Amino acid sequence: MTPIISARGLTKRYGRATAVDHIDLEIPPGRIVGLIGPNGAGKTSALKAILGLATFDGELSVLGKNPSRDRASLMEDVCFIADVAVLPRWARVWQLIDVTEQIHAGFSRATCMEYLEQTKITLDHKVKQLSKGMVAQLHLALVMAIDAKLLVLDEPTLGLDILYRKQFYSSLLNDYFDEQRTILITTHQVEEVEHILTDLIFIQDGKIVLESSMEEVEQRYLELMVRPEHAEQARSLQPLYERELFGRHIFLYDSVDREKLAGLGEIHTPSVADLFVATIKGGQS
Amino acid sequence: MKRLIALVRREYWENKGALRTTPLVIGAIYVAFLLMSIFTTAHFDNEMYTFKEAIRLLASQPAEFRATHGYEVMLGSSLFFTVVLAFVVFFYLLGALYDDRKDRSILFWKSLPASDTLTIASKLITAMVVAPLIFWAVFVLTQIVMALIASLMVMSVGENPWTLFFSVINPFKAWAMLLVSYLAAAIWFLPLHGWLLLVSAFAPRIPLLFALLPPVIFAILQIWITFLKTFTLNTSLFGLIGDWVANSPAILTAEVHDGEGMLALGVPFTGEFDHAVTLANILDRLFSTQMLAGLVVAAVFLAVALWLRHRATES
Repeated sequence: MTPIISARGLTKRYGRATAVDHIDLEIPPGRIVGLIGPNGAGKTSALKAILGLATFDGELSVLGKNPSRDRASLMEDVCFIADVAVLPRWARVWQLIDVTEQIHAGFSRATCMEYLEQTKITLDHKVKQLSKGMVAQLHLALVMAIDAKLLVLDEPTLGLDILYRKQFYSSLLNDYFDEQRTILITTHQVEEVEHILTDLIFIQDGKIVLESSMEEVEQRYLELMVRPEHAEQARSLQPLYERELFGRHIFLYDSVDREKLAGLGEIHTPSVADLFVATIKGGQS
Repeated sequence: MKRLIALVRREYWENKGALRTTPLVIGAIYVAFLLMSIFTTAHFDNEMYTFKEAIRLLASQPAEFRATHGYEVMLGSSLFFTVVLAFVVFFYLLGALYDDRKDRSILFWKSLPASDTLTIASKLITAMVVAPLIFWAVFVLTQIVMALIASLMVMSVGENPWTLFFSVINPFKAWAMLLVSYLAAAIWFLPLHGWLLLVSAFAPRIPLLFALLPPVIFAILQIWITFLKTFTLNTSLFGLIGDWVANSPAILTAEVHDGEGMLALGVPFTGEFDHAVTLANILDRLFSTQMLAGLVVAAVFLAVALWLRHRATES
C-alpha cells in the first residue's frame, strides 16, 4: 500500500535553529498516529511542512504530492486544525458552512449539521460571539464533515470541557475513522488519546526518538512495580527509567524477558504518558 | 469558477460595512440634503416664488442646453461616491492579505483547497469589480430617488418634469459612462492595487505605514538627488503619481468650458485638457504605453504579493 505520508531527511530550519532535523517517516493509510513531544520539539514545524504551510528541505510526499508546491490540490484530500480558535471572527456560522461547501467538494452539510446539533451553536452565531470551546466545536464540526484521506489535528481539544472531549474522541473513532483514513494527532493530553491510537511517534529536538505501533509498544515495553528491597535487583536489568511512587519503585523496561521480572513485583503495560517521560528523560540521562 | 465565486462572496461578507453600508449612507446623505434644501426654500419662501422662477427660466432654455447640463449634473454628482469608493478600495486592499494573518484565521483559509493565486484573484475582483458595481448601483438608485423627488417638486409648481428633463436627458448614457469609467479606472490603478496587496501581504503591522513610507522616502530622495544633480525639480515619484491620478479615466470634475459642456476625466492640472468623458478617450488611456508600463509594474507587485502569501504561514 502506498503510504499517506512519506518523508526522507525532512528538515526545517529557521535561520540557524533547526526545528526538524532529518526525519524519516512513513505513515500507511488506516492509522491513527499520535505525534507526541515536549514543547518546542518540532511537532508543529513538522505538521506545517506536511500541510503545505511551510517550506522544507529534504523529501516529503503527502498523498503523492509535494505539499509546499501543491497545497491547494492536496487540501482536497487533507483537512486540518492547526491551531485553536483560528476561525475568522467576523464570520457567521452559516457563512463558514457555505464557503466550505462551495470550495470543498468532499464537504457534507448534513454531517456538519449533525455535529453542530450536539452543541449550542446556531447558524446565525458570529464566531466572535462564541466561547473558545464553542469555536473549537465549530471547527471540529466543519473539519469532520469533510471526506478526507488525511485528518491532521494539532491540539484539537484545547479549551473543550471533558464531556465534549470524550464525545469528540468517541465520534472520531466510531463515526469518522475507517480503513481508508489516516488521522495524525498532536496533543498534550496523552491519556485521552492513547486508547484510540494505532501508532506512536515521539519527537524530541527535531528528531524522532520512538516510532512504533501500539501492539509493538505493548509487546516491547513493560513496567515493573517493586518493593524497595527488590529495587537493586530490578535496577541491574537496565531499565529505561525509574521513578518512585508511594514507597514503591517503578521501572520501565524495553525488550526484557517477562519471566525475569515476574518474581520481582507486579508487571503492567506502561501508559503512553509514562513511556513518553521514560523515553524523553531516559534519553537525556 | 465556483471556488472563485465563493471566495468573492467571502470578501463581501467580511467587508459588508465598507462595500454596502458606505454607499447606502452616501445615498441617504444625498437624499437628505435634497430634502433639507427643499424645506429650507419652502421655509423662507412660502409661495415658492424663486423656485418657480428658476424652473421657468430653465424651461425657457433650449433643449440642447438642458441635455448637456443635465448630463453634467448627473455625472458630476457622482464625485462624492467616486472619492469614497477610492478610499474604500484603498483600505480594503490594504487589509486584504493582512487581517487574516493578524487573527491567524489564514490557517483556516489555507486548509481549504483554494490556491493562493485564486485567493489574490478574489481580492482583486472584489476591489476592481464588486466594489465599483455596488457603488455604481447605489448611485443609480440614489439618482432615481432624487429624480422622483425633483419631479414632484416641479409638478407642485405646475410645470411638467417630462418636457423639462426626461424627454431631453438620457440617464442611461450618464450611468453607463460612469460605470465604464469606474471599471476603466480600476484597470488604470492596477499598479496601485498591486502595491497595496504587496504591502498587505508583507506588513508585520500597521500596513498603512508600510504603504506610504517607502514611496515618500523614495520620492524625497529622488527630489534631493535630482536637485543635487541639476538644480531643477523635474521628475519625481510624486510627479509620476500626480500625473497618474491626473490621467486616470475617472470622473472627478465636471466643468463648463468655452460655453460648452465639458466633463473632465481626472484633475486637469497638467495643462492638457483632453480628458473629456468619451469612450474614445477612455480607450486611449487604457491602450497607452503608460498603461502598459503600469501593467508591468502591477504584475511585479502582484507576483511578490503571491510569493509573500505563499510563505505567510512560515513562522
